[in-house]
Amino acid sequence: MIHELMQILPMAIVVIGAFILMLLSRSRVVDLNKLNLVAVFFLALSFLLELPQFGRTEAVYSFPEIFGKMYIIDDFSTLFDLMFSAGAIMTLLINTDYFKSRSYFNGEYFALILFSVFGMMTLAHSNELITTFIGLEIASLSIYALVGYHKRNKISSEAMMKYLVLGSMTGAFFVLGTALIYGSTGSTNFNDISAFIASHSQEDLTLVIVGGTFIMITIMFKIGAVPFHSWVVDIYHGAPYPVTMFMASTFKIAVFAIALRIYLIEFASISSLWTPMLQVLTIITLIGGSLMAISQSMVKRMLAGSSIVHSGYMLIAISSIGLGSEMAAPAIMFYLIAYFISAVGAFGILSFIAAHSKKQMTYEDFKGFSQRRPYMALMMAIFMLSLSGFPSTIGFLGKFYIFTAAIESGQILLAALGILTAFISVYYYFRLIAVMYFYPSDESQKKFQINLSSSLVALMALLVIWGGIGTTLIPFIPGVDGFIDIAKQAIGSLYIK
Amino acid sequence: MEQILSNIIFVPLLTALILGLSSASLRWIRLGAAASSLIVMALVIVAILNFDPSGGMQFVRIAPWIQNYGITYYVGVDALSLVILVLISLLMPILYAYIWKEERKGYWFNMMILQTGITGAVLALDMVLFYLFWETMLLPIFILIGRYGNGAFRYNAMRLLLMTILGSMTMLFSILYLGYTYFETTGSWSFAINDLSGLDFNPQTSIWLAAGFLLAFAIKIPLVGFHTWMAPAYGSSPTPAVVILSAIMAKLGVYGLWRFGYGLFETTLVYYAPTIVGLAIIGLIFYAIHAIMEPNLRRMFAYSSGSHLSLIALGIIVTNIYGWGGSIYFIATHALASAGIFLMIGLLYKRTKSVTIDDLGGIAAMAPRFAFFFVFFALSIAGLPGTGGFVAELLIIIGAFKANLWIGVLAATTMISAMLYIFWMLQRTVFGPAGSHTEAFADLDGREMGMLIPLVLLLLITGIAPSLFVPYLEPQIEGALAEVMRAIGGIQ
Repeated sequence: MIHELMQILPMAIVVIGAFILMLLSRSRVVDLNKLNLVAVFFLALSFLLELPQFGRTEAVYSFPEIFGKMYIIDDFSTLFDLMFSAGAIMTLLINTDYFKSRSYFNGEYFALILFSVFGMMTLAHSNELITTFIGLEIASLSIYALVGYHKRNKISSEAMMKYLVLGSMTGAFFVLGTALIYGSTGSTNFNDISAFIASHSQEDLTLVIVGGTFIMITIMFKIGAVPFHSWVVDIYHGAPYPVTMFMASTFKIAVFAIALRIYLIEFASISSLWTPMLQVLTIITLIGGSLMAISQSMVKRMLAGSSIVHSGYMLIAISSIGLGSEMAAPAIMFYLIAYFISAVGAFGILSFIAAHSKKQMTYEDFKGFSQRRPYMALMMAIFMLSLSGFPSTIGFLGKFYIFTAAIESGQILLAALGILTAFISVYYYFRLIAVMYFYPSDESQKKFQINLSSSLVALMALLVIWGGIGTTLIPFIPGVDGFIDIAKQAIGSLYIK
Repeated sequence: MEQILSNIIFVPLLTALILGLSSASLRWIRLGAAASSLIVMALVIVAILNFDPSGGMQFVRIAPWIQNYGITYYVGVDALSLVILVLISLLMPILYAYIWKEERKGYWFNMMILQTGITGAVLALDMVLFYLFWETMLLPIFILIGRYGNGAFRYNAMRLLLMTILGSMTMLFSILYLGYTYFETTGSWSFAINDLSGLDFNPQTSIWLAAGFLLAFAIKIPLVGFHTWMAPAYGSSPTPAVVILSAIMAKLGVYGLWRFGYGLFETTLVYYAPTIVGLAIIGLIFYAIHAIMEPNLRRMFAYSSGSHLSLIALGIIVTNIYGWGGSIYFIATHALASAGIFLMIGLLYKRTKSVTIDDLGGIAAMAPRFAFFFVFFALSIAGLPGTGGFVAELLIIIGAFKANLWIGVLAATTMISAMLYIFWMLQRTVFGPAGSHTEAFADLDGREMGMLIPLVLLLLITGIAPSLFVPYLEPQIEGALAEVMRAIGGIQ
């Protein structure tokens, strides 16, 4: 009993923290700074309790007598939990300056962040379609509210409406898909469904396949795959910087968590059916995302567009799984880690700058940035290098594994297209490096403030470099192999029953 | 001894890191950079003294890096990479002497990172490690041109970056494919070049894979058709960057052609040989015509450099002892001469603020020492007998004649055309009446002479006594050539 409680404690702490924050948010005594610390405290507690749990040898269901097999706890979900709470902590701490500089922030912001983390954790742990939907909606609803947080701002409210309407509509697809699958298999549990699929021939599975396709549409919408991508750029643009950072780095990963579990477990035996559809989606996502990213003049919108391209790279690997590639699943895991670190850093710097100026942050605004803030510029350059997949960064290895997996599965042309879009991405990422470094600045150099925000961003920059070149030669510090082993172990845990 | 190459690669980078993190003052940065380059030079001298001309790869160091994918930190040096290594370690202190008065700190940091990048690319024997250094060396050049250049430098820096990365990306694809094929055939991962060279492909795949590599090298050299970045980038570069571009980075393209072209795709290279020979011959004539017409000195020598690099590529691809020997010799002597001439152009620009031929003239009367060095380097570019370039060009042309009479004849035109544009340029810049920008012209001072004299001496030694160097190079070239000949089934 105690043991089982300990296992779900990390999640329970997050949701308890969210309620406490809700209660505190109306208090006159507790100001935003303190609320922030309370939120970080709960998240950090959850993170620390979760950390020693990674590396278990078996997957367990929590409270099976109550929940049945709804709720699974394995290394896969633990790794995602860790990333979610780390992402939320980063979002809160790096943006300390930002929400102090904007008057519209108040207490609910923190509660919403924690609620959405709870939703994402549910998503990562869920072993059943209804739970998945609930987790997805808890996370999404919090995010909808966060996107429209700046109530008096037209762009922000418009973004929220767009996201809410489109998101709810695609949510309906998920429910419909669930209903179809339930109607055909009589269960919503992943294990039962996968057993049903394995024991029936393809003619009996029409409803399951249609239902699965509907579910996939929801997932494709959430990761911003073309043609379900029209919201991405506007919503990333309209949302306040901390929320954009949270969405791009953390929420996106959560969607991949459920996508991987569904694809690897539930539909494992028929996943190759979707491969042609996925391949087409991948091709248009890569091209469409590149076109969106290349035409933006605002850095935030460029990063939004490029996040579509990153989804495209991961889709390459997902369709490789269907074609029998063994490396593909760990490759996605590694890519998620790599993208998480780089995106947290890049958006962190953006919101750090936004906190200190009222600028729109177009490319123009970055002129001479390397002279005003040399260290910040260097870190931004490192994140851009990583996102563009330049060697000596973690982003390069992420692409390396994805493309190798694509070659393994025989998708040579898809790998070639991936490399071509990586080349295009060099243009828009290096454009930022170029404006930062190529133009002199009129203003004098600002002092590098060493505080929590900046040291966290610096930590991310170090991780990006270490994840790209880290060797195992130095004892006690895991090198690149460490990252890969973590990814492999998390994926491996999915298959332990 | 095992660590010597690692030290040669990483001392500059570590110096840059330490100086950067400690927010050192300009004085310390300058001293640190100079010290790092001298330490590397000393290490390279130690390496030369311990180098065994008849042994293959030496000072090899293999350490696991990313074990999951069998990627290793694998470095080693043989005759050809030693030549380039010596050039790098020789040029860096000279360049530091050239920029000694430079006050912008970024300049110094970029130079140190650049040294690590180019050295690593020459010494790496693992494909992923090579790719890492190959890309890394581009960054400092990109920043140097885009930040400290002249003319439309920002645009030209971006153009250089994008074109070179396009090549790198195709190469990356080929590397990944090779690595995966190795895994498929043997069951374990490796990206080491000597492992990958044993793979067998069907000819069609091999042609595609080789194309990935060849595109990267063709852009770097650049062969004609892949050259549109060259003249603008050379024209916009600050002097140290253009010296590295022409003396080292362009050579790395040829080095890659030799190391990876022959190392991985001996048989397929036969398929591409006519194309490369054709491009090289068109290139050396096309670039020479451009050089004759070009009014801007930097761009003129960019074309001249392209012309000579096409000749080197030709020498590599004709695959006989004269071609290979001459090419390797030319890599060294052309690096020395082009470093010299681009430094002279830099010094000229400092004095006149113009590198357009029409603005210049009559330098010899006002600054005899400057004129002497300028004329000397220009003539060694043209292949004046007595300088190293003459010996090398002659060898390559003999090699070309051995391959085919017409290839030889066309290759030989490079000597004539070089004489043409060099003499015409000298007549209009150094001699004749004073131009609009050369009315007052300061002669070279002690520091400037100090950095040029080593280059002059080396060019003379390589020209007068090539026999000093032949024993170092010959055994390995012959060995490598015999291996390639065995693979492609030809006779030497």
